[in-house]
Amino acid sequence: MRRLLSVLTRVLLTLLSHYRRHIAQTLFLAIGLVTGVGLWSAVQIINDHARASYSEADQLLGAQASHWVRARDGAGIDPADYIALRRDGFTQLYPILETRLAVNDEPLWLIATDLLALPRSESPLGASGGDWPSLVQPPYQTWYPPDLAADFGIGPGDTLMLDDGRQLPPAALQQQPQQGRRLFMDIGAALAVLQRDHFSYLGVGELSSAETDRLRRALPNHLQLVDNRQRLDLTQLTASLHSHLTAMSLLAFAVGLFIVFNAVRFALHLRRPTLHTLRELGASSRMLSVAVLLEALVWSALGTLGGLAAGRALATLLLPPVASSLQSLYGAVVGTDIQLGWARILLAWGITLVGLLLALAWPLWREAQQNIRQARSASDDWAADRQARRWLALFGLLLAVAALMLHSRMSTVTQGFVVLGLSLFAAAFVLPVWLASALRLVERCLPEPAWKLRWALRDAWAQLPQVRVAMMALLLALTANLGVETLVGSFRSALTIWLDQRLAADLYIQDDSLRLAAFTDHGAAPWLVASHQRNGVQIRWSGRPTLIRGLNTNAPDSRALPLADANEHLQDWFDGDNDWVLANEQVHHLAGVELGDRVQVDTAQGPQAFRIAGFFHDYGSPYFQLYLPYATVERLWPNASPEGLALWLSDAPDAEQQAESALLAAGAQPGDWLNQNTIKRVSLRIFDRTFAITTAMNGLTLSVAGIALLAALLALHQQRLSHYAHWRALGVRYREWLLIVALPLALLVALTGLAALPLGALLSSLLVHDLNVHAFGWTMPLQWQWPPALRLAALTAAVLGLTLLISLWQVRRRLPLALKQLGEDDA
Amino acid sequence: MRYARLLIIALISHAVADDYQLLRADPSGYPRAVPNPAIEFPTDHLPHPDFRIEWWYLTANLTDADGESWGLQWTLFRQAMTPNADPGGWASKQVWMAHAALSTPTGHRYAERFARGGIGQAGVALNDTGDFNAWLDDWQWTGTAGSLFPGTLDLAFDAINLDITLNSTTPWVLQGEAGYHQKSDLGQASHYYSQPHIQIDGELTVDGETFTVSGPGWLDREWSSQPLAPNQPGWDWFSLHLNDGSALMVYQLRNDNGEPWINGTWVDADGRSQSLERGAIELTAESFTTLTLPTGEQKTLPLDWTLRLPDRNHSWRITALRPDSWLSTLFPYWEGPVVAQSQNPATPGGMGYLELTGY
Repeated sequence: MRRLLSVLTRVLLTLLSHYRRHIAQTLFLAIGLVTGVGLWSAVQIINDHARASYSEADQLLGAQASHWVRARDGAGIDPADYIALRRDGFTQLYPILETRLAVNDEPLWLIATDLLALPRSESPLGASGGDWPSLVQPPYQTWYPPDLAADFGIGPGDTLMLDDGRQLPPAALQQQPQQGRRLFMDIGAALAVLQRDHFSYLGVGELSSAETDRLRRALPNHLQLVDNRQRLDLTQLTASLHSHLTAMSLLAFAVGLFIVFNAVRFALHLRRPTLHTLRELGASSRMLSVAVLLEALVWSALGTLGGLAAGRALATLLLPPVASSLQSLYGAVVGTDIQLGWARILLAWGITLVGLLLALAWPLWREAQQNIRQARSASDDWAADRQARRWLALFGLLLAVAALMLHSRMSTVTQGFVVLGLSLFAAAFVLPVWLASALRLVERCLPEPAWKLRWALRDAWAQLPQVRVAMMALLLALTANLGVETLVGSFRSALTIWLDQRLAADLYIQDDSLRLAAFTDHGAAPWLVASHQRNGVQIRWSGRPTLIRGLNTNAPDSRALPLADANEHLQDWFDGDNDWVLANEQVHHLAGVELGDRVQVDTAQGPQAFRIAGFFHDYGSPYFQLYLPYATVERLWPNASPEGLALWLSDAPDAEQQAESALLAAGAQPGDWLNQNTIKRVSLRIFDRTFAITTAMNGLTLSVAGIALLAALLALHQQRLSHYAHWRALGVRYREWLLIVALPLALLVALTGLAALPLGALLSSLLVHDLNVHAFGWTMPLQWQWPPALRLAALTAAVLGLTLLISLWQVRRRLPLALKQLGEDDA
Repeated sequence: MRYARLLIIALISHAVADDYQLLRADPSGYPRAVPNPAIEFPTDHLPHPDFRIEWWYLTANLTDADGESWGLQWTLFRQAMTPNADPGGWASKQVWMAHAALSTPTGHRYAERFARGGIGQAGVALNDTGDFNAWLDDWQWTGTAGSLFPGTLDLAFDAINLDITLNSTTPWVLQGEAGYHQKSDLGQASHYYSQPHIQIDGELTVDGETFTVSGPGWLDREWSSQPLAPNQPGWDWFSLHLNDGSALMVYQLRNDNGEPWINGTWVDADGRSQSLERGAIELTAESFTTLTLPTGEQKTLPLDWTLRLPDRNHSWRITALRPDSWLSTLFPYWEGPVVAQSQNPATPGGMGYLELTGY
C-alpha cells in the first residue's frame, strides 16, 4: 500500500511538474479559476449579505421592531404622546427619526433614536460603544459607518454641510447594529439640528399579544399600530434583483471556465509524451486517472482559495453601491461589513471542483485510457477538429431547441434565466461551425494571385482548433455585454421619458404634514397655478405590500399619466367613478390581472371590489399600486394619510422663490420640498448606481474573455514555434509572419463579433420583454443602440491588438532558440 | 449610605478600570458636600441637579399572609454628565437610572431602566397638585404634599406588579454630622439622610398570583460629587430592623492599602439617633460564598458576617436570606435581605438588607 502511495505521489509530482515548467499556462489556469470563482463568489457574498440583512429587518438598531406606531395623518409623533405612553408603562416603545438628507444632490439617510430608551437585550449603551455624552450633548455627534465616511471624505470631527445649508454635528466613526449606510444621531440632537418637533414614528419592541392589545387601546386616536412585515417583504421584493445578479455571476463563472478549459487542453497536449512515458514505465491507467483527479483537487482548492479572496475584495468594492440601491429602491438597510460563511466556501469549492473535473478530468482521463500504441501513432488533431465542430454544433442545436421549447412556456424568472443560459451556450457551441463555414466562404472568394492572403487564411485552419474555446468565451462575453447594455439603455430612456411625464409639477412637498392651506390663501396664491394633494395607505393584496393612492383624477399629472394599456372605461375613472381603478403594470404582469378584471381589496369597511380600467407604468417600484379617487380612499380607508403634495407654479420668473418664501413662512424647513429637476437627477443617479454593478460585472467578464484569448494565443504560438522556425528559415519576415498570424485571427474575432450582434439583440429582447417583465413587472420598448456595439468593437480590437503584440514579443524572444533546435534536429 | 452603583455614566467610560470609577472621578467643576448643609424639606427631597450623583433608595423586608419573607428594593439614580450649565429639554445633562428588585420566597428578580432628563420621562418633582413624585416611565413613588409619606409606590417588571403604601411618622435621621457624611480621610463626603422606620403595606402580584404583604422599609437619600476615595474599591453596607423597634445602619468602605472606613448609626424606635464611630463597631466576614452568574462568571462574596457593638454589648450573626441576589446590571452588585440572629440574650434579633459592591 505504502509503495503504491509512493508511486502515486511520484506520478502526481511528475504530472504537476508541467506547471512549473510552463509558468504562463499555470498562470492562465490560475487566472481562469480565480476570476471565475471570484466573480461568482463576489455576487454570492453580496446576495448572502443582503439576505442576511433582510432577515434582520424585524430589528432596528439592535432592538426588536415587531410593530411601528405611526401618526394617521403622516404628521409624525408628538414627543408628548411618546412620553405619555412610556409613563403608561409601554417601555417597549422607542422614538425614531428617520429622514433623507441631501449632500451635493446625493441622497443620504439619517436615523436617530434615544439609545437609553432602546429595548436592547444587552445594556443600553453597551452595544453603542461610542462616546454617549458627546452624542447627546451640544455640539453633539454624527456617527458615520466608516465606509460611508470614506465615501464623503469625512474624518473624525469633520462636519458635513447639507444642501439645505444646515450643518451636521461633528463626525465620529461609529456604528450601531443595523445602521447600514445611514448616519446615526441622538434623537434629541436630530430634533435640534434638523429643527423638527416630531419623531417619524415609534418602534415597538417585543410585546405579548395581551400587551399589543393594551397598546392598541391605549393609543390616542391620531396614532395607529402597524405591523412590521419588512422581513418578509424585503425577501420577496428583492428576490428578482438577486436572481439577476446570480445569473450574471454564473455567466462570469462559465467564461472563467473557458479559460480553464483552454489551459487544461494545452496542458494536456503538452503532457501527452509524459503520460505515454508514464504508461510505458508501468503506471496503470487507473493510477493515472487517480493522479489526474488529485490534480483537479489540488487546482480546485487553490482556485477556490484565490477566487474567494478575490471575490471578497470585489464584493467589498461592489457592496456600497448595491447597498445604496437597495436602500433607495426597497428601503432595505444593508450594512457593508461582509462575512464569508463556511457554507459559501464549501459551495465555491464544490462548483470549482465540478467545473474543473468537467474541463480537466474528462480529456485527461480519455488520454490516460488510450492504448499506448494508438496514442503514439496519433497525429495532429487537425482532422479530429472537424468532427468536434460538428458534435459541438449538434449539441448547440439541441440546446437551442430546448431553449425554444422552454421559452414558449416560460413563466418564472428562473426559467427565463435557464432559457437565456441555454441560448447563450447554444450560440457558443454553434460558433465553431459558423467560423469554419465563414472561413471557407472567404477562402473561396479570394483571387488566385493573392497567395499571402490565401496562406494567411489557410493558417486560420491551423489556429481554429486552439482558439475555438477562446472565441466561444469571447462570444459569450460580447453577447452578454451587448444584451445588458441594450437593456440598461432601453430602461434608462424609458425611465427618462416616464420621469418627464410623471414629474410634471414644479415642486413636490416632502413633509406630508404640510397642507396647502398652511402656505396659501385657501389654496390660492399668485405664484400657484395648480396643485395636487394625494393620499395613501399601504395594505396587502395578493401577498404583496400594495399601495393604495388617492388622486385628484383631474389634476394635470393624473390626466397625463403614462399608461401601458387602458380600456374604454378609462374616462369613467377620470370622471371619478368609484367602480374603476388604475393599477400599475406590476399588477398585470406579476399578479396576472387583465383589463376589466375585478380585484378585491381589504378596506376598513370590509372587502371591496374594483374593476381595472388601465395599467400605468411604474418603474422602479417593487410594490403593487392602485389609483383611486381621493375621496374614495378617504372614505374606504379612514387611516389613509395625505402624502405627496405637488405644486405647479406660474410662469413668473420669481414664482419658485415666492413659493419657497411662503413655505418657509408656514414653518416648513429647507429640504421639506424638492423641485422637479432635483428629483429627476436623483432618480437617474440611483438608476445609474443600481446598474453600476451590472456594468462592472460586464466589464470584468469581457476582460476574462480577453485573458482567455491571450492565453490561447500564447499557448498556440508556443506549440507552433517550430513551424515559425521553419518559416523563418524559409525567409519569412516578422511583418509577414504577423500578417499571416494576425489576419486570420482578426477575421475570426470579427466573425465572432458579427455573430454577437444578433445574439446580443436576442439576449436584450429576452431581458427586456421576458425576464424584466417576469422579474419586476415593468415593460418598456427595446431600444437598439449602435454606440455600445461600436464601443465594444473598439475594445475588442484593442484587446486583440494587445494580445497580438504580447504574442509577437514572445515569439521574437523564443524564435532564436527554436531556430537553433531546428538546426540541431537537422544535424 | 448607598452610593449604590450610581454611575450611570461610567457607561461612558468603557476605558475605566472598574465599574465604580465614576464614584471616584475628579469632582472639579461640581459642587462639593460641605459640613452643616442645613438640610430642609421638602427642598432636599427634590433633586440637587448640580451635584454629580444622587439617589432615592428604598429597601424593605416584607412578610406575606403565610409568613414567607420577601425583599424589595427600588432605587432611582440621577447623574449629571457634566459640570456645565444644563441646556435642559432633549439636550439635558441629566441621566436617570432605576433598579427594581424583588426577593421572592423562591428566587430573585430585578430590572433596570434608563431615561434621559429634561423630557419628563423620569424625574423627581412636586407634581401639579404639589405632591412629591419620583418616577421613571411607569415606576413611580407618589407622596403627599411635599412629603414622601404617606405615599404609594407602583412598580411593574418581569411579570411582577407591586402596589404598596408607605407610611412613616418618625423624624428623618440626618446621617453623620447633621447630614454631612464623610467617607474617607481624604475629604470625600456626601449629604445623607434616611428614614429607617417606614411601615409598608400592599399587594404583590407575581406570575398572576397575588400576595398581601407588609413589613418595615428603609429609605436613603444621598447626593455627592465624589463619594469614594481613589483607594476605596467598594463597600459592605448593612441596614437592620430590630425586633425591639430600633434600627441600625453599619457600613465599611474597604481600603486597598489600609483599614476600612467604618461607620454607623443607631436609631431608636422613636427616631432618635446616635452615630457609631470606628471603634464602636466590629465587623467580621465569617465565610465566603461563590456564586456562578448566568454569564458563567464566578463571584466570591462574604454573605455571612458577625457584627458587634461592644459598647452596647450587642452581637449578631448576619446571613443572607437568598445568596443568589446578584444584580447583573450595568453597574453590578449584590443586594438582598439578611437575617440578623442575636448572639447574646440582651440583643434583639432582626431582618435587614445587605449591599456589597466592588467585588
